[in-house]
Amino acid sequence: MRDAPFRRFTVPVLRWMRVCCALLLTATSLGAQTPTGTISGRVTGESNQPLVGAQVRLVGTGLGTLTGDNGRYTLVNVPVAQYRVRAQMLGHRPVERAISVIAGQPLAEDFVLRRQVLELDAMVVTGTAGAARQREVGNAVTQIDLSKVQEPPANVSALLQGRAPGMTVMPSSAGSGSGSMIRLRGNVSVAMSNQPLIYVDGVRLRSDGYQRNVPPTGSDLRSGNDVASPLNDINPNDIERVEIIKGAAAATLYGTEAAAGVIQIFTKSGHSGKPQWSVQVDQGFARALKFGPEPSTAPAGDSIPRAYRDSFPERFAGLPDRGVSRAGGTSSYLFIDPWLRNALQKRFSLSVGGGGEALRYFVSGTATDEDGVLPNDNEARKVVRGNFSFTPLANLLFTWNTSYTRDHISNTAAGNNAHGLTLNAFRRDRNYASNDRPEIVELLLKQELTSDIDHIITGGTMNWSPTSNLVNKFTVGYDLAQIANRNLRPFGFVSAPTGIISNRENSYQNLTFDYSGSYIRGLREGLRGTLSWGGQAVTTESRETSAYGENFPGPGNPTVSSAGTTLGFEERQRVVNAGVFAQTIFDLKNRYFLTLGARVDGNSAFGSKFGLQTYPKASLSWVASDESFWPSWNPEMKFRFALGQSGRAPGAFDAIRTWENPPSGWGGQPAFFPRSVGNPELGPERTTEIELGFDGALFGDRVSTSVTWYKRNIESALFNARQIPSLGFLNSQLQNVGTMASDGLEASVTGTLVRRKNFEWTVGGSLYTNQTKVKSLGGAADFSLGNFGWIMTGQSIPMIRTDFCVENPNQKVPATGLKIISPTAANPNACNFGPNLPTHTYGANTGFTLPLGIRFNARGEYLAGHYMYDGAAFNAVTRSVRWPGCYDFYTLQETGKAADATALQTARCTVAATKADYFIYPADFFKLRDISLAIPIAQRYVPGASSAFLTFAGHNIYKRVNKDFPVFDPETGNNGGFDSQVRSILEHVPPPATYTASLRVTF
Amino acid sequence: MPINRTNITQRPVMKTLRIYGFLLALLAVPACDTKVTNPGRFEDIDLNARTAEQAMVNGAGRALASGLNWLSYTGAAVSREIHPAGSTGSFGISTRWQNGELAADDGDLDPHWEQAQRARWIAEEAVRRIEAAGPPKAGESQTLVAYNNVRQLAYLYAGYANRVLGENMCEGTIDGGPKVAGAVFFTRAESLFTKAIGVTGGTPATIATQATAAYAGRAAVRVFLGKWTESVTDAGLVPIAFVQNIPYFNLGDDAQRNRIAWAIFNTPYRAHTQWSTWYYDYRTLTTDPRVPITITALLGDAAIECCGRVPFYPEAKFSTSASPMRLSSGREMRLIEAEAKLRNDDLSGAVTSMNLVRTAAGTTAITAATITDGWRLLKRERGIELWLEARRLGDMRRWKEGNTPGALDPLELPGASSHLTKQDLCFPISRSERETNPNFKI
Repeated sequence: MRDAPFRRFTVPVLRWMRVCCALLLTATSLGAQTPTGTISGRVTGESNQPLVGAQVRLVGTGLGTLTGDNGRYTLVNVPVAQYRVRAQMLGHRPVERAISVIAGQPLAEDFVLRRQVLELDAMVVTGTAGAARQREVGNAVTQIDLSKVQEPPANVSALLQGRAPGMTVMPSSAGSGSGSMIRLRGNVSVAMSNQPLIYVDGVRLRSDGYQRNVPPTGSDLRSGNDVASPLNDINPNDIERVEIIKGAAAATLYGTEAAAGVIQIFTKSGHSGKPQWSVQVDQGFARALKFGPEPSTAPAGDSIPRAYRDSFPERFAGLPDRGVSRAGGTSSYLFIDPWLRNALQKRFSLSVGGGGEALRYFVSGTATDEDGVLPNDNEARKVVRGNFSFTPLANLLFTWNTSYTRDHISNTAAGNNAHGLTLNAFRRDRNYASNDRPEIVELLLKQELTSDIDHIITGGTMNWSPTSNLVNKFTVGYDLAQIANRNLRPFGFVSAPTGIISNRENSYQNLTFDYSGSYIRGLREGLRGTLSWGGQAVTTESRETSAYGENFPGPGNPTVSSAGTTLGFEERQRVVNAGVFAQTIFDLKNRYFLTLGARVDGNSAFGSKFGLQTYPKASLSWVASDESFWPSWNPEMKFRFALGQSGRAPGAFDAIRTWENPPSGWGGQPAFFPRSVGNPELGPERTTEIELGFDGALFGDRVSTSVTWYKRNIESALFNARQIPSLGFLNSQLQNVGTMASDGLEASVTGTLVRRKNFEWTVGGSLYTNQTKVKSLGGAADFSLGNFGWIMTGQSIPMIRTDFCVENPNQKVPATGLKIISPTAANPNACNFGPNLPTHTYGANTGFTLPLGIRFNARGEYLAGHYMYDGAAFNAVTRSVRWPGCYDFYTLQETGKAADATALQTARCTVAATKADYFIYPADFFKLRDISLAIPIAQRYVPGASSAFLTFAGHNIYKRVNKDFPVFDPETGNNGGFDSQVRSILEHVPPPATYTASLRVTF
Repeated sequence: MPINRTNITQRPVMKTLRIYGFLLALLAVPACDTKVTNPGRFEDIDLNARTAEQAMVNGAGRALASGLNWLSYTGAAVSREIHPAGSTGSFGISTRWQNGELAADDGDLDPHWEQAQRARWIAEEAVRRIEAAGPPKAGESQTLVAYNNVRQLAYLYAGYANRVLGENMCEGTIDGGPKVAGAVFFTRAESLFTKAIGVTGGTPATIATQATAAYAGRAAVRVFLGKWTESVTDAGLVPIAFVQNIPYFNLGDDAQRNRIAWAIFNTPYRAHTQWSTWYYDYRTLTTDPRVPITITALLGDAAIECCGRVPFYPEAKFSTSASPMRLSSGREMRLIEAEAKLRNDDLSGAVTSMNLVRTAAGTTAITAATITDGWRLLKRERGIELWLEARRLGDMRRWKEGNTPGALDPLELPGASSHLTKQDLCFPISRSERETNPNFKI
């Protein structure tokens, strides 16, 4: 079963490789007939530092290469002729000069590239038809150049965190393999995924998480309750750059599905010249930061009997008298610290790139072995990649990039899971064992949760320019991700004595066909037009085959077949989205640009009566600094405007009225249950976005700034409209009924405060705001998304709202008793708290370049304006658990000062009065995302190396949360994994800090 | 002919563009043809097939079991057939239900209404489709016997689904319509049971058994409709040994497990107990096998608002999570006869009927000196006989509204000993119904 998709992939790959080899032989034999020379040299920056990954190419030919870690490049077998050679790199002004290649004579050409903050001539490809220069693009495109990322990221999610204004990346737990939520300019949908589309070298990748490792039937909580992300299957060391477009105005040409934005990852390619080897070894550890109050704040009564402590002197050595559990846990870690560890994390990477003019390659391999902070957690991932480019003719380029990831994840049962470690440790002696002795709680560690992921991403692109003004690009891509989740509670397991097992095998496939063509033609003096056209078809398929068994005959290592009762499940879904587009760019004097375009889409999930959907776009760009009236010190400036639409499709079955046979029917007999009401007129939600922006560089590139204001309107928004229960269909039905809006500002500024020969100090800051609003529910009633997230007219998307709230929460309880209020028709917003996603994000970074090439960087992020529900706290308090979040209240109670407690404290912490509604926290927080020190190692210590760096880095090692956020961490998630519609907290350990030492050597 | 240089340069380009136009058109074909049929679910039209009738009626059965599952558990907590012992979330009893509150603003109650309404709707939809299909014609694969068997079963499930709604809801609605009195469910149930009784032409044994169940069901709803004479007539057609069950299944699917049982199986839930219930006291005094209770040294799985940690004495009537629940029984019919006799001041006849039940159940006979005592015993006897079967709330409400004599036990009424601060005797129309049904406004 699992082999079939691989065969479907390998057969065409092998055929393709045969064709490539034949063409390679032909090209080699042809090349031998022409006299050639060699060009080599070094590309450096202003401080003479080598520039890695700079592009050196002969203008008007297909010949070119990239510099290695030492900044050196070599172009071999260059036909004898006159050329213009151009060196360029992101963030630097390109340099171009004339050369003559003479047969048999090596030519040395060195380049010094000056920094250029505003990269108007850098090429971007995401959201454009083919490729375009930054100066032509009317929308914001964020580029992350990995050669400038100093700290070694553990995965792609960590890499993206805090890198771009407008992008929010938040993990959800400390669980190994846990993915991260990504939002570009906030939520665009309340019913569908808000994860952006992900492309890797033009190949569409699954954006949503993998299947959670939970049995397909029975309780859906018996899990680690977090999910892995396919995005993290990519080796960050393989990435050359990332392009991010954040909304509909930029993503129109991606059509349906692109309303949440697009992230495109470009992996490294080989360069001509001798092979360049790179080795990187990362060693470090992860460590949980405190997420509860200090034991010293615990009330005196919160202590365990002295006799018990005296029985285990070693366990309690050094622990305070109160705020501890029988297992030796402390309130600082909600009593789970006996099972937390400093988790060793190792990564080994090796890559080699090289090739000739016709064929280039980049091959890499990475192996990671990372323990998690929880006792059963580990992730062992191996990634291999081969990127090949082949230039049989000067106007024809083939590239084929392939990566394969094998990931083995082990997890500890966690989340809101009565069989899990976290819940039972947090609740101490009020847990499901009524016992917090370590030997009792540890029995829960016998549950085995493993996930094996196989992920192959492969794609080929053909670039063909039959004439100098006609460019064609055709991409075929295939993304196949498979996860095998095994969930075993063995025979004798404390909470399931006869044992339970499940195996879920999910496969996710994306097949991408993408063609674009561009024709450039001069229309009149100073006016040039570029006509582009193309089409794209993406088939997305998911399959699940799962098996469940319970009641083993005895101990041993079982399979599902070992169980007394077994059940099987299968689910398949396929969605086809296809569209065509056309676009034209008018270029006046290389500084005024007008772009007009449209895409027309069809989608198999649209209703039968819906038809096609058209998304138009228009943009303007004005490179003001190219005007002649500026004085010689003129700054670089570009003004931009973009308007466009894109969409989000409903799910595969949403348009059809269906019934289902629920799991195991009715006692094994087939039984029909109503599933979906259906809606033949169902279409995509349609997001219209307008953005205005300015990019500028002042004072000789020492200060750069970028400002973007955006406003988006989401029409025909898909809402999960509840159905009338007495009509039998209990599931909600998607309807295109809503209208929503959002707007915000993205601003960033970076300045070089000091620039000396051996010292440089840069500082930067950013601001991102996002205000969302539901404009209309289309006649539907306000509805809940769960976890107190509500969709209400005039409120944010979603608004955190409760049914009950405390009047004057920070004042003492009135003599008449707690005053609890509820929303009413007259005051429907009485218990509204605020948005669930941050409304304001402030970023700050600084960097020092010190003598000897030592570099120090630090980046931090402050996210504010949002609220979230802490279900773990409520679940504990309502079960009379002595909860650390209530320590202040308990202390007042014990000292006879309960009347001094605030109304909110009293409502939350009094078992008889508490309600889930009272556990809404302001979730503002600051985290130091990265801090790193990179030290170059002299070549004499690493013989044969062209460069070597030793880097010490810390990720998320410091945090501050709102003073009214008593326990956990705002980046703690619930049972739904990273892409929950409403972020809330359940019984998880928050994401840990990581510390890494990294050695990178290039030969 | 002069050479047009522009044409020379443009011709290849135009030719190339034509090729691209063709390629683009090819690419556009799949863009216009995105029809995909996904497997796994069944389109509505597929259910019109005769071969789908049995599965649809099975769905009605499963939905009925599910509806009963929710109502029986929460109803048992509010009527103190069980006492809360811990969990408030999954398989637990919320704090408000622990206090005896079934409030209209309580969204956690929605599944009770929704599951019961779904049971009614699926069963009635099955009836509609089966009646629309009519008897099979010659040459069709379905036999007339099979048609009548399944048709009668559809009527039966539809009747029971309406009875369950009527016994537990004071008001309701039908198919998204306006609000109606809860008695409407009984009227519909009576009609559906009558149709079931009228079915002939199926497998004789099946038809006879299902008809007996329909008589039992109709007898029960006629009690609520005040049609005592007709009810007693129906009851008299049901032998004392007759039992009509709805099954539950221990298949790894929580939705098909008996919730009352699953909530006390210590894996990990110990959510309710018989501690502090009159059933526990009665069992201790009489060892009546109809009220089996297990005494453990454990406590409930969490502290509860009224009492902290409480002893865990789980019921054992549902000994496995696949234990069925009775919909009707001959013993219930004898109790209907007993109540009818009490209404006619026939104390000895009532006691005789009750003792028929007790003898059949394997316990000792009772005596009553007064009519009031007879009523007290009848109310106790129905509590024992129909324990944990989603019947108690309806009975309590019926007796309260009828102002019948005979006191209930203090442990099942609001007060300090029961830890009930109030006692709602009806499940409300769900918030979800009131917020979505255009005929309702909160």
